Amino acid sequence: MLYFVARRLVSALSVVLATLIATFALFFIAPTDPAAAICGERNCTQQRYEEITKNLNLDRPKVEQFADYTIGIFAGRDFTTSGVTQHCAAPCLGFSFKNDRPVTELIGSRFPVTLSLVLGYAVLVLTIGVFVGSMAAKRRGSLGDRALMTSTLVVSSVPYYIVALMVALYLTIVYPILPRGEWTPPSENFGKFIAGLLTPWLVLGIYNCTSYARYSRGSMVETLSEDYIRTARAKGLSDRVVTYKHALRSGLIPVVTIFGLDIAGSLGGAIFTERIFDLPGLGQLVLDSLNNYDLPVIMGTVLVASVIIVAMNFLVDIGYSLIDPRVRLS
Amino acid sequence: MSIGSPDSTVGVEDHPASAEPARTAATPHGKSPSRIAFDRLRKDRVAVICASIVLFFVLVAIFAPLLSKLEGQDISTFNTQQIDEFGYPTIGITADHWFGIEPKTGRDNFARWVYGARPSLIIAFLATVVGTAIGVVMGLLAGFLGGWVDRIISWLIDFVLSLPFLLFAIALVPIVESLRGGSFNLSPEDQANIRFYVLIFVLAFFGWAGLARIIRGEVLSLREREFVLAAKAIGVPTWQVLFKELLPNLVAPIVISASLAVPAYVTAEAGLSFLGVGLVEPKPSWGQTIAVATNWYKADPLYLWLPVIGITALVLALALLGDAIRDAFDPKTRR
Repeated sequence: MLYFVARRLVSALSVVLATLIATFALFFIAPTDPAAAICGERNCTQQRYEEITKNLNLDRPKVEQFADYTIGIFAGRDFTTSGVTQHCAAPCLGFSFKNDRPVTELIGSRFPVTLSLVLGYAVLVLTIGVFVGSMAAKRRGSLGDRALMTSTLVVSSVPYYIVALMVALYLTIVYPILPRGEWTPPSENFGKFIAGLLTPWLVLGIYNCTSYARYSRGSMVETLSEDYIRTARAKGLSDRVVTYKHALRSGLIPVVTIFGLDIAGSLGGAIFTERIFDLPGLGQLVLDSLNNYDLPVIMGTVLVASVIIVAMNFLVDIGYSLIDPRVRLS
Repeated sequence: MSIGSPDSTVGVEDHPASAEPARTAATPHGKSPSRIAFDRLRKDRVAVICASIVLFFVLVAIFAPLLSKLEGQDISTFNTQQIDEFGYPTIGITADHWFGIEPKTGRDNFARWVYGARPSLIIAFLATVVGTAIGVVMGLLAGFLGGWVDRIISWLIDFVLSLPFLLFAIALVPIVESLRGGSFNLSPEDQANIRFYVLIFVLAFFGWAGLARIIRGEVLSLREREFVLAAKAIGVPTWQVLFKELLPNLVAPIVISASLAVPAYVTAEAGLSFLGVGLVEPKPSWGQTIAVATNWYKADPLYLWLPVIGITALVLALALLGDAIRDAFDPKTRR
């Protein structure tokens, strides 16, 4: 087991390192002049241009720049803008010259929004998806089951952003049945926090629960035909206990695997939701940064998202090997 | 005839016809798996309907210049005389403008809609072709050669699959543009063209890994089979074993993966254009029109609904068709 964990950890770290090198290469080696790209071309003065060049050590070899960046992530570094020196603390992912703030701070200020979005979505999608899926599995072949499975197939084939956009425009603005999306910190006003996120949660949850329903139906159908389920029935256990206590437990294993990866992916994929419902999360940060060519911020966000995905991948693998020992041998 | 030495020629001599049974036209005989799948697909009503919807959009895209000529409009004429001072169009659906005109610019909606089908389809098909080709070659090499080649390719697959696709796509756009001198120095046409190729590159770059992993797994079991061993034993060169012996056995996973990739790419292209990182003016594209139309949806719902219906119908038809193709190749997955 220890060997397996160590091997997975090494491969996860190698992927993180490769991502770091790849993003660095993309942002600092490919563009002909990163300082000009960061400085912007509309109101860039010669002084500011030189300042950025000096701050990022762009006049030194690329390897040294990369070393600086990497050391900055673990030890922090200092940036000087307009004569003022700012310290960028330990996980330093660069400095946004557009906002005059370290990238880590910017990401930190937006992270709670995306995290609340994803957590609420996670709760909804698991409960609705698994419930619908196991109901369908119990009534396999019935008209309701077939109607449900066909409709989930159709719903999941329509692009997500179309569904979200139509709900946002027509159900929250034209016919205000649902509250409009907005961000209020939970510490400020908890009721407003819930109300502002309710519609995005519902849209994300209901749209994505279709795939969960299909997965959990598939795995429940398989589990319900196992011998131990028949034994449980033969013992005279009630239908509810057999389905939800005996079958659901092992039927959920593949669903949990997908869940881990989906949650990691949706941290980065929340861009559409944030854009459509006007939530100031990580996705909006990236889009805003794109509009004013704030490359360090985009780079930092890409790195953070990659690390989260790799970490989740790793956790899912470890969790899976605990549940199913055969995985360790492959 | 003694026991222990069965004479295999006896039966054939006695009944020469049994060696090669006479076939009448009605009796079914050997069909390739692709042929069987295609026959199943033809009987699938959903698949036929979806295929005709896809065909409709393909025809619209191909004959876009002809269709807009038929209407008598083009994609870039500004009909500002039919726009009031607030930017709203003063005309609806008329004989001149079949789907009305755009707010603010007054360009013809119908012409822009038919031309808008083009980038979606071209980008999706090109990205699928490139991604599938790379995925097949990588999967074949990794599975067949094994050893360090396999280790490197498998690591690459893991690496690509663990990158956040959407964020990387967004990040690549400004980088490629700054390579070409930054978006401020590019003409709109140049920018639109660059975005077009960046989109194909990004989609193909993220698309090959999933297929490569499937192909690798298939090849791992296929390469131990007798026909491959036989080919190797008589000294067939490796590339010929790969492409002449193994590839024909991989048609099913390749076709399935490609048919599921196309709708995903159409969705991704329109989504990125909607976010402002895909196609830009002056290239007409549905995703970008949706983004603009959200500012006008109350006064001019048609402007929003045209591209919405276009994308939804195309993606839905492609996705259901892909699903039907998968079912046709593997009936076990049928619900």
